[in-house]
This record gives sequence, structure tokens and C-alpha cells, in this order.
Amino acid sequence: MGHNVLSLMIFIPLAGMVVILCLPSRAHGVIRWMGVAATVPPLLMSVWLLEHFDPQTTAPQFVQRFAWIPAYHINYFVGIDGISITMVVLTALLCFLCMFASFGIEKAVKGYFALFLLLETGMIGTFVALDFFLFFVFWELMLLPMYFLIGVWGGPRREYAAIKFFLYTLFGSVLMLVAILYFYFAADPHSFDMTQLGALLAKKIPLDVQVLLWVALFIGFAIKIPAFPFHTWLPDAHVEAPTAISVILAGILLKMGTYGILRINYGILPAATLAPFWGGHSVAFWLLAALGTLNIVYGAVCAMAQEDLKKLVAYSSISHMGYVMLGMAAFTPQGINGAVLQMFNHGTITAMLFLLVGVIYDRAHHRQISGFGGLASIVPVYTGVTGFAFFAAMGLPGLSAFISEALVLLGAWQQYPGLTIVAASAVILTAGYLLWALQRMYLGQPNEKYLGLAEINGRELFTLVPLAAIVLFLGIYPTPILNLQSPALLRLNEQVQQAAAPPPPDSIAAR
Amino acid sequence: MDATQSLRYFGPELVLTAAIMAVLALDLGLTARGIERSRWPGIVALAGAAAAIGSAVRLLRVPAREWLFGRMLVFDGFSVYFKVLLGLALLAAVWMSLGSREVRGQPNEGEYFTLLLSSGLAMLLMAAAANLLMAYLSLEFASLTSYVLTGFLRHNRRSAEAALKYLIYGGVASGAMIYGMSWIFGLTGSMDYAGIAAGIAQLDDPSRGAFFLALVLVLAGFGYKVASVPFHMWAPDVYTGAPIPVTAFLAVGSKAAGFAMLLRFFHFGVGAAGPVGAVTRVPLLQLGTLLCAATMTLGNLAALSQQNMKRLLAYSSIAHAGYALLGFVVFADAGVQAVLFYLTVYYIMNLGAFWVVMLIANATGHEDLPSYRGLAWRGGALPALALAIFLFSLAGLPPLAGFVGKFYVFGAGVERGLIALVVVGVLNSVVSLYYYVRVVKTMFLDEPRAEDAPVHFALNDLAAVGLLSAATLVLGIRFDWLLARVETARRIFAG
Amino acid sequence: MPVTTAVFYLLAAVTLGSACGVAFGTNILYSAFALMGTFLGVAAIFVLLGADFLGVIQLFVYVGGILVLTLFAVMLTHRIDVQVSNRAVGRLPGLVVVGVVATWMIRVARAARWTEGQPGPPAATTAGIGDAFLGTYVLPFEVASVVLLAALIGAIVVSRKEVKG
Repeated sequence: MGHNVLSLMIFIPLAGMVVILCLPSRAHGVIRWMGVAATVPPLLMSVWLLEHFDPQTTAPQFVQRFAWIPAYHINYFVGIDGISITMVVLTALLCFLCMFASFGIEKAVKGYFALFLLLETGMIGTFVALDFFLFFVFWELMLLPMYFLIGVWGGPRREYAAIKFFLYTLFGSVLMLVAILYFYFAADPHSFDMTQLGALLAKKIPLDVQVLLWVALFIGFAIKIPAFPFHTWLPDAHVEAPTAISVILAGILLKMGTYGILRINYGILPAATLAPFWGGHSVAFWLLAALGTLNIVYGAVCAMAQEDLKKLVAYSSISHMGYVMLGMAAFTPQGINGAVLQMFNHGTITAMLFLLVGVIYDRAHHRQISGFGGLASIVPVYTGVTGFAFFAAMGLPGLSAFISEALVLLGAWQQYPGLTIVAASAVILTAGYLLWALQRMYLGQPNEKYLGLAEINGRELFTLVPLAAIVLFLGIYPTPILNLQSPALLRLNEQVQQAAAPPPPDSIAAR
Repeated sequence: MDATQSLRYFGPELVLTAAIMAVLALDLGLTARGIERSRWPGIVALAGAAAAIGSAVRLLRVPAREWLFGRMLVFDGFSVYFKVLLGLALLAAVWMSLGSREVRGQPNEGEYFTLLLSSGLAMLLMAAAANLLMAYLSLEFASLTSYVLTGFLRHNRRSAEAALKYLIYGGVASGAMIYGMSWIFGLTGSMDYAGIAAGIAQLDDPSRGAFFLALVLVLAGFGYKVASVPFHMWAPDVYTGAPIPVTAFLAVGSKAAGFAMLLRFFHFGVGAAGPVGAVTRVPLLQLGTLLCAATMTLGNLAALSQQNMKRLLAYSSIAHAGYALLGFVVFADAGVQAVLFYLTVYYIMNLGAFWVVMLIANATGHEDLPSYRGLAWRGGALPALALAIFLFSLAGLPPLAGFVGKFYVFGAGVERGLIALVVVGVLNSVVSLYYYVRVVKTMFLDEPRAEDAPVHFALNDLAAVGLLSAATLVLGIRFDWLLARVETARRIFAG
Repeated sequence: MPVTTAVFYLLAAVTLGSACGVAFGTNILYSAFALMGTFLGVAAIFVLLGADFLGVIQLFVYVGGILVLTLFAVMLTHRIDVQVSNRAVGRLPGLVVVGVVATWMIRVARAARWTEGQPGPPAATTAGIGDAFLGTYVLPFEVASVVLLAALIGAIVVSRKEVKG
């Protein structure tokens, strides 16, 4: 199945959607299990991919390519490399687990599961697409199901949150569209091939235009990450979305921003990445490193002020994505490796957090931190898992986030010592808001209202345990993942640095 | 080519003329026998439109490029493409009328279909006119029939008011246009486009100002037909007041015919694509850019606050005229091709949207947004889904046809280096998403209230809508065949 | 200034002046009468240009037919006073726009080089027009007849009596 495994991963969920649409809308049970069934093959295939992926090859693997619209040189072109493999695995895994987390949905079940599968198609497609047109189609394809999933099945302010998410993301992606078209016509021969565009465009576009395009693309991706000041859609969307959708949003969609920067900004416009931007510093310094650090601090400070547990987790996502930005801006082997590993780790950890928030919300029907207390004595298992997830989010040694954050900070230190100090100190803030929340909710006097609160059930545990296992495993032994991604990332790193000759002053000074 | 030889290439128009006469005679016969509310005039009109399409489709394979009727019309791939498109618009309008409560069974139904077919005939002539005389005559013909069709709803004050507004704006615009044409004749000494192009090539420098003024005046007429700013003011009232099938026909047919005239006049008569000195030295590109940006922006901003679906779609159609104008501003074959593609896609999705609006108006008696509340949850799931597809396509989201249309138009703009205009265009699509989504939100996200009655839709009413939404989906993914079609149609006959 | 030019300007002034009378007259009856001046001026310009047949037709159709019909319509209508509801709107800006556009037009028109036909000896044009209608201009001629048919039907639709449904 080597050559079309990726296409199968993309389109099996779509086929599942079609099947679900044909089922009678009252057959909730069948629809749910059909949803699960459609997410199993991509998961198995992603495991198969892990096994057969050759990390030493930096070129895309499992490539499938044929002409789609020959008149416009558009190809159906998919493949994975070290940058995308972990993301594909993460997507397949989280989609599978989220199907179980969605069993509680009672309203318009058919529509929910159909849209969810459409979303999975869009997500996997985005990560494996290597043709820019195809990438854009998948990128936008995610918007529609997401809009409805938040808007129909979300919380009280769901309509506002859904439209805000929609408009923000579309705003970013139309700028990307202009850049895509510009690339296409600037390249000779005209091309949408993401793997070739970098070489085709190398000397074709003047550097200042490149920087402009870089920024246009960056805005599109920054909205997805979301980087300050484009982040305001995120707390609304995450809070209003149903649990499983929050997981997908935080676990996968946010990663698309940083993935896009790596694949497109770095891959196609390497020269602009380290071009001088302002005040003697490079584009990457200002837009990735500095903004990333700001994200880390800002997200943590906001999280500390939250009363709503879900909002707290949402802001913590902003904070953690900052590490990814900082790491990838460092252009050191540790930095970029740490960044991509952090993408994976944050995906698993934040998924756990949102699932746990969902568990408590399903029972208490609110998420106010101060409304609980002493839950540890009422629901000990739940508290245990939550504690584990919180500690993982904090970056406790022995758990996965520690490795990636440490790598990021190590890598960044060599380039931006000042920023790294700030970023590292923010870990204290992270520990602060998480521990404070833990204390207020789980320790202390039990709230009498919730004495009869039901313990976490088997289905919920089933969604959490695999994630916890991964977090633990990667915390102790991250080498397998690092081996997978490292060669491709190092090559990307090199490309960018080679293209940026002569090196901008700040990177010399830092050495 | 003289008149008798030309008839070979004049099939669609002849068929339509015959159909007009047939409907008229049939209606007369029915009235004489005292038969009221017969379905037959409509069915004959439908058959006439279908036959006209058939005749046009046969002409698609004819590679000839000729003058017809002694330099009045031309025959080329461009005109035939438009004839097929306009024929389809006519067919759809007749089909819609047969299912519309505003038209079916009303008095003067026979005359209605006669006028509708006449309007179609006028638009076919517009697509082929390459002579100022025919251009003006066909445009006025189309306008005249449209005024009456707009005012067809006798019991509706809005309809009468809309017709009057349409008439007055139309009078002013076509007055300006014919005055501009007289200047062009005065400057070039010719009425057919080939002669005009030759005359313009020899214009001396001092005449440039007059030439530019004449172009501005002519643009007023074309701008009025395609509903471009600043000649768009009639559109919201007319779209709201007219019966929905007429609105749909005006939105897709009239606009397409206007674009056909616009493109032919500038690419052939003015010779925008050729190396004509006089054109490059007048600020035509700047004027076009300004009109295009203003049309997109005003249309979208005004649509944001609309509560009536027809009015919302009216403003949206103004905005879409702006997107299509972007292809015009490119002033090259690539732009023509993009406009052709865009208009085709626009035909499908906009027609679909109007069709659903009509079905909902038939079922609920309302066209305003609140009557769409929770439609998906009270029996209208299928029409709501179809409308959502059309609206998202209009907003330009992949993988729907509207995205490809916009992609293509914006691509032509980027290729030409009109980056700023393209950026304005893409930002406008973000703005447009807001009001399209507002409709979707009302249908899907809002819960129906107690006073919202359940609605029922017969499956056979939904057939056309289903067809159009399937086309919207398929064209978003497989559009190479249409690309090939517009590739052959884009080369406008130039003497 | 040659005599023909002077006559042209005189006729143009009459035409334009009457047209202003139509547009700005407060009494619709006076407007209708002012319209006659416009039609007559146009007919006279046709004659001046040597288009005798057109001039006569203009007289017949517009003055003899349409204007009389208009007058009938005006007289038979109950209310003939026009109420201008928003008189204040746009008079001054309108004047400014007209002034600017007119100045622009006159400037560019004077600068431009116009193609001029050679004036031939005065001759009857009727036969020529007839030939042209059935020769070069057969299509516009035929299309115009369809337009008239459509206009006729349109007039019926617009003016029909309410039929009880």
C-alpha cells in the first residue's frame, strides 16, 4: 500500500462521512461507531507509516502525484517528510480518541459525526499536501466543518465564537492566497509544487518583496498559531467549542500555523527568513522569536487571571505555542528539533487537558475554578489523571514537555540569550497558574454540592490513557521521534541559513 | 457576409424569435377559447429556450469567425459561449417561473413569457453585437423588456416602484452611452468595431481627451448593465421588487450580457489587447481599477446589514460584478478567460441561491432573513444545505466552484501585476463571508421559535437546486473541461 | 461664422432651452408644450444636415403623434400638478457637477480632431434610406420591429386592468 497510503488516510474519513450521511438520522449508536470505524484505518496507517518511514531521506516519502488541472499546472501531490510525519500521526490519533469523546453529543448526531470526519480529511490533507493549491484547498476545507461544529454544538456564545474563528482564519488565508498566486506566476515554469518552489524562486523575487510575502504568509499562519496580537479568536473558540472540538483545535489546528511557517515560509522563502527587518534584527527574530516570547509570557499571565478552567487551558495553549515559535526561530539543531517536538507534545498534553475539562463539565455543567474544591477526595482517579496532565503541561522532568521545552530553550540560548531568559522565567508563571488552579479545585474543603460527583468513567479513561502513556514515554525516551524528524529539520535549517548570506548582524553577534 | 448567408450562424436567435411568436399566438388562442391559467405558454417557452440552447451548442463546434449581416454582428467562439450561457440563464428563468407563485397562474402569464423570451433574444444579440448601432439597439431592447418584467407584480407597490427606478436609471445611463457613442463615431468615422479600432489607431494626441471622455460615457451604459459602481443604484430596488425568476435572470443573464458587450467593445473596438497607442495613453487602466475596487467594496459593505434575502443577493451581485471587473481590468486574453470562467461559475451558484430563495418564498411567503430562522431544523434541511453550499461558494471557499472562479480572476490580476487590486479583492471576500455566513447561521445555528411554522418542500421542486449544488461541488474539483472551453472562447474576433 | 453654423447654434439653443423648460417646469402641461420646442428643434437640425426625410418623420411621429398623445394623457389625468417632494436636494451640487463636466467636455471637444463627411449637393434621401433598411441595415431594422412588438406587449402588461383572480 506504499504509494497510496496517504491518499487512503485522507479519503477514508471522507468515505466514512458519505456512509454516515446515508444512515438514518435516528440510529445514533450506529452513527457513532461508524465514526469510530472511519478513524481507525488512518490511525493504523499512521502506525504503519512510523514503521516504514525512512528518517535518513529528507525528500518527501510515500509520494503520490498526478496531474489534476494540467492547464494550471495543478497536481494532486501528497507526501510526508520529517516535518509532517509526527503531525500526521498526531492527527490520526487525536481524531480517533475524539470520536469517543464525542459520544456524549445528543443533538443532530449525524451531522456532527459527518462534519467531524470531513474535518479529519481536511487536517490530514493539509499536513500531507505538497502542492500549494491542494494545500490551500485542504486548509480552507477545515474551516467549514469547524464553523458548524463550534456553531451548532458549542456553548452559549457559540455563534459569536464560530464566526470570529471563521473570519479570522479566512482573513489570514486570503493573504496566503495572494502569496500563492504570486509564487505561481513568479516561478518559471509556473508551479504550485511546494518542494520545488523554493529552488524555482531563489533569485526571481527581490528580497524586499520576499519579505513582504513572508509577512503575508506569516499573518495567515500566525492567526492559526495563534500569535499575539492575532490570538483573540482562540479563547472564544476554545471555550465555546464542544470538548472534542476543543481538543482538535488546540491539538492539531494550532500546529498548522507553525507547520505552515516551517514548510512554506522557511521552505519557499528561506532568504527572507533571516533578512534584516528592523533595528538590525532579522525577520525571524522579530516575528518568531520576539513574538513567541511575548506569547509565552502573555499567555501565561492571561491564564493566571482566568476563572474558567477551559479558558485557562486555552490561554496556556497560547503560552506553549510560544515555545514552538521561539525554538524554530533559533536556527540551531536543538531549537528546531525542540520546536517540532513541542508541537507534538503540546498536541498530546493539551488534548488531555481539554478532555479532562470536558469530563468535569459534563458532570457539573460549569467550569468555574472557584466553584469546585476538594475534588481530590470525591473523584480521586480523575484528580490523579488531572494532576498528571497538569504536571506534564508544567514541563515537569520525566514528562514529554520537559524535553521539548528544554531543547527549545537550549537552542534559543545560543541565539537570543535575552529572550531565552524571559521565556525560561515564564515557566514559573506556568507552574503558578496550573498549581493554583489545582489547589483551588482539587484540594481544600470539598464543595458540598459536588459530593455525589461521579468518577471518571471507562470511556473517558480510554481517551486519556493512551495520551498519558505517550507523554510519559516521550518524557523518558524521546529519541524515536527525534530520529524521525531530525534529518529533515536539520536540512531545512541549513537551507535557511545558506540562503541568508551574508548572515544578518544579530546572528553573528550572538555567536 | 450578407444577410442570407449569415442566417446559418443565427440559429439561436431565429429559434427564440419563433418561440416568441409561438407563445404569443398560443396565448391568443387560449384566451380566445376562454382557457385561463394554462401551463402551455410556459412549457412552449421552456421548449423554445431549450431549442435555442441546442442550436447554440451546435454552433460551439463551428470554428468560423465571421462578420454577420454586413458588419452588424460577429460570429466567434466568444459570442457562442455567451449564447450558451445566456440560453441557460433563460431556460433557468423560465423553469423557475413555472414553479413561482408570483408568476404561475397570474393574469398576463402569456405576455410574461413572451417578454422573458424577448429579453433573452436581446441578450443574445448583445453578446454578438460588434457595431455601435446593434450594441445600442440590443441593449435598449434588453432594458425595455426588463423594465416591464420588473414591474410584473401588479399588486406589489415595490415592484412598480422598482420598475420606475429601473427605467429612469436606464434612461440616464443609455442616454450617456449613446452620447458617448456619437463622440466615438465623430472621432473615428465608423460604427463597426473594426473601423473604430482602425480610427483609434490613427487618433492624434489632442483628440485623446475627447476619446477618453467618450469611453467614460460608454462605460456608463455598460456599467449600468453589469451593475457596477457608480451605476449600481438601481440594482437593490429592482432585485427586491421584481418577481424572483426575473431577479435571477437579471442577476445572471443581464450581467453576463453586459460583460459580453463590455469585453467585446474594449478588446475589439478599442483594441485594449492590441498595441494601440491611443489606449495606452489614456488613464483607462486607472479608471477600471477604481471602478473595480469601488464596486467590490461598496457592494460588500452595503450587503452587510441587509435583512431581505433578495436585497442581500442584490448587493452581493454588485460585489461579484466587481470581482469580474478585475478580469476586465487585466485587459488581456487571460482576463477575458477569467471573466468567462467567473461568469459561468457565478451563473451556477447565484442562480442556485435565488432558486432556493424562491422555494422558501413559495413555502413561507417571506423573503426576509428572520423567516429563515432555524430552517434546517423545521423541515427545510435540504434547501438550507443547498443554500449554504451556494453562499459559501459565493464567498469563495474551496472546494466549491466559487473559489475556483475567484482564484482564476485573482490569478489573472496577479499575473498582470495588479497586486493591490487583488489584495482589495481578497479582503473583500473576507467581508463577504460575514453576511453569507449570517444567512447560514440563521438557518442552522438559530433555533426555530414557536411562531416559525414547519415547512415542507416537495422533492421534485428541489431537483433543479440539487443539480446546481452538485454542479457547484463538481466544478470546484474538476474544472479543467471548463477551462478548455473558455480557452477557446476567450479569443475575441478582431476584424 | 458661416450662416449654417449660426443657424445650427440657434436651433441648438432652441432645442436645449425647451428641454430645460421640460425638465424644470412646475406645471406638467407647460412641460408638455415645451417638449414641442425640443422636437421641432431636432427636426430642424435634421433638415439642416440634409436629412429631409428624417426631419419630416420626426415632425410626424414625435410632434404629430407622441406629443399629442402625451397631451391627451396629461389632460385626461385628474391631477396634473406635480409635487416635487425633495426640491432642495442636489440643485447646487448638481449645477457644480454639470458645470465641471460641461467645461471638460467643451475643452476636449474643441481640442479633438473630428472626422468630417464631405457635404454633397442637397438631394432627396428617402430612397437611400429605404435601400439601406433592406440592405446594409436589414438586421437592425428587423430587430427594431421585434423591439416594437415587445414594447407593445409591455405596454399592455403595464396598463392592463386588474383581473379578478
